[in-house]
Amino acid sequence: MLVAGCDVGSLTAEAVVMEDGTILGSEIIRVRPRAELSARDVMSKLLDRLGLSFDDIVFCVSTGYGRETISFADDNLSEISCHGYGAHWLVPSIRTVIDVGGQDCKAIRVDGEGHLMDFVMNDKCAAGTGRSLELMSESLGVDVSELGPVAEEAEEAVVITNQCSIFAEMEIAQFMCEERSFADIAAGINESMAKRVKGLVGRVGVEKDVGVTGGVSKNAGVVKNLEALLKVKFVEFPEDPQIIGALGAALFAGEGAARSKGP
Amino acid sequence: MFFAGCDVGAISAKVVILEEDTLLVQETMAYKMLPREAAIEVMEKALANAGLSLEQLDGCVACGFGRKVVPYANGDVPEIMSLSKGVRWAHSGVKTVIDAGGQKIRAFNIGENGKVSDSATNEKCASGTGRFIEVMARALDLSLDSASALASEATDPVSITSQCGVFAESEMITHVNDGRKRADIVAGLCRSVATRIASLVRSIRLEEEVALVGGVARNTGVVDYTAKELGVRFAELGIDPQALGALGAALVARERRDGAASRVG
Repeated sequence: MLVAGCDVGSLTAEAVVMEDGTILGSEIIRVRPRAELSARDVMSKLLDRLGLSFDDIVFCVSTGYGRETISFADDNLSEISCHGYGAHWLVPSIRTVIDVGGQDCKAIRVDGEGHLMDFVMNDKCAAGTGRSLELMSESLGVDVSELGPVAEEAEEAVVITNQCSIFAEMEIAQFMCEERSFADIAAGINESMAKRVKGLVGRVGVEKDVGVTGGVSKNAGVVKNLEALLKVKFVEFPEDPQIIGALGAALFAGEGAARSKGP
Repeated sequence: MFFAGCDVGAISAKVVILEEDTLLVQETMAYKMLPREAAIEVMEKALANAGLSLEQLDGCVACGFGRKVVPYANGDVPEIMSLSKGVRWAHSGVKTVIDAGGQKIRAFNIGENGKVSDSATNEKCASGTGRFIEVMARALDLSLDSASALASEATDPVSITSQCGVFAESEMITHVNDGRKRADIVAGLCRSVATRIASLVRSIRLEEEVALVGGVARNTGVVDYTAKELGVRFAELGIDPQALGALGAALVARERRDGAASRVG
C-alpha cells in the first residue's frame, strides 16, 4: 500500500513516499509562493522519479505551512507531531528532538511510541535561531558554515553576554577592536548560540536520547558546544534530518490508510 | 565658574559645559568601539567650541554606561540621578522621565522632593532602542537624521508585527521588495519603536509632565507616535533631548564643588 507525506516549510518543501513501512524515496525543493504549489511540485517530482502517479497514493498527510490548503492531502497534522514521530521512527530510542531552523528553535518531547508529550518554541526573540547565528558570524566576517573549523583553533573563547543578537554584534565588534583572534570569537559565537538553545530546551526538559535537526544541526561548532552543555551525545540519523517532518506525515498516512480499510 | 558633565552611553558620548547656570556648549558624538577615546574626543570638541581649556573647568562629573573610563572626570554619578537633575533643571514640573537610549529604554517617576521612584528598564532586547533604529536605517541606506525627516512624509505606514529587531528587519526587507515607499517603511518602524517604548512606560505611573529624552527622542517620528500612544504631550525642554544626562552630571559637578578642592587636570 503506497502512502505519502508532504511538509511545506519556510524555505524548503519535502515529500516522502512509503510502501508497507519502507521508505521508497524522498524529495526536497525550494518553496514556491504558495503552499499548494510547493506541495504539488515536490510530490510530483518524487512520484515522477519513482514512476508513480498521484492516483497510486492511497493516503496522503500534509504538514507545515498551509497544510490545510493542500488539495491532494487526505488529512493534515501539525509539524511538531510529524517531526517527533518521524524522528522517533528513525531512532526509536529518541525522546527529545531539538529543531534549530532559520527563524525558529523548537524542542520536542516524545514518548516511547513517538507521540508528542511536550514542546516549546522561541516566541518573540530570534536568539537561538539560524538567523541569529548568521548575523553574528556576518559581523565577524566569517561564513556561517566556517564557524566550526575556525573555532577549532580557539585558545580562549570570548564571552558574549547579550542574548540579543543585535547587541551581541556590538560585543563582537568590540572584541575585534581588542584584537581577539577570529578563532576565539568564533568559539564565543558557537558557545553563545548553544547557551541560547539550551535555555529554551531546558523549559521542556531533556530526556535521552536526543536528536538535533534543522539547518543549524549542520554547524559542527554549535553542535559540539550544545552536547557539552546538555551533557549528551546526539544520535545520528540514518536519513537526511530535513525529511523527518514529511516522513512523520507519511507514517501517519500509513495509519490513516489502515484505519480507512478497517471493518 | 565652569562645570562640565560627560555622558558616555552605549553608542554616543555627550558633553555639556555650564557657565554658572547657563548652558554654554553641548556636544554629541557617535562612536563605535572605544568609550574612553570617545569621551576624550567629545570633550576636546566641546572645549574648542567654548573657547576653554580643560584646566579652566572647575569640576567635571561623568555618567552613563562608560562613566568609569572618563579620564578627566573628578567623579561619576548614576544615570538616573543625572537625568532627573538635568530634566528638572530644564523643566521643573516633570514627574515622569522616559529615557530612550542607544541600548536601553528606561522610565521613572520623580517625586516632589526630586527623589526617583518606580523605575522600569529594558536592556536585554534591542527592540525600541537607538541601536534598533540604527540597524534599520542602515538597511534602508539612510542616516538617522534623514530617517527622522522621512517619517513625516509617510502616507501609508507599513505594519511591522515583530517585536524582535532581527525579525523586523526581515519584515522590512519584504516591504522594500514589495515596492513600498521608504517613508512609509520608516514611519512603520517609528511606530513600532513607539509601541515598544509605550509598553515599557505603562509598567510605571504616567504622571504629567512627561519628558521624553535620550538620542531616540531626536527622532520626531518616534516622538509623535509615542505621544499619541500614551495620550500625552511631552514637556518642552528647550534643549537637545540627548544632552540631559550630561547636563545633569554638570549640575552634580557644580553641587560637589564645595567638597572638591582640586581642579580638573
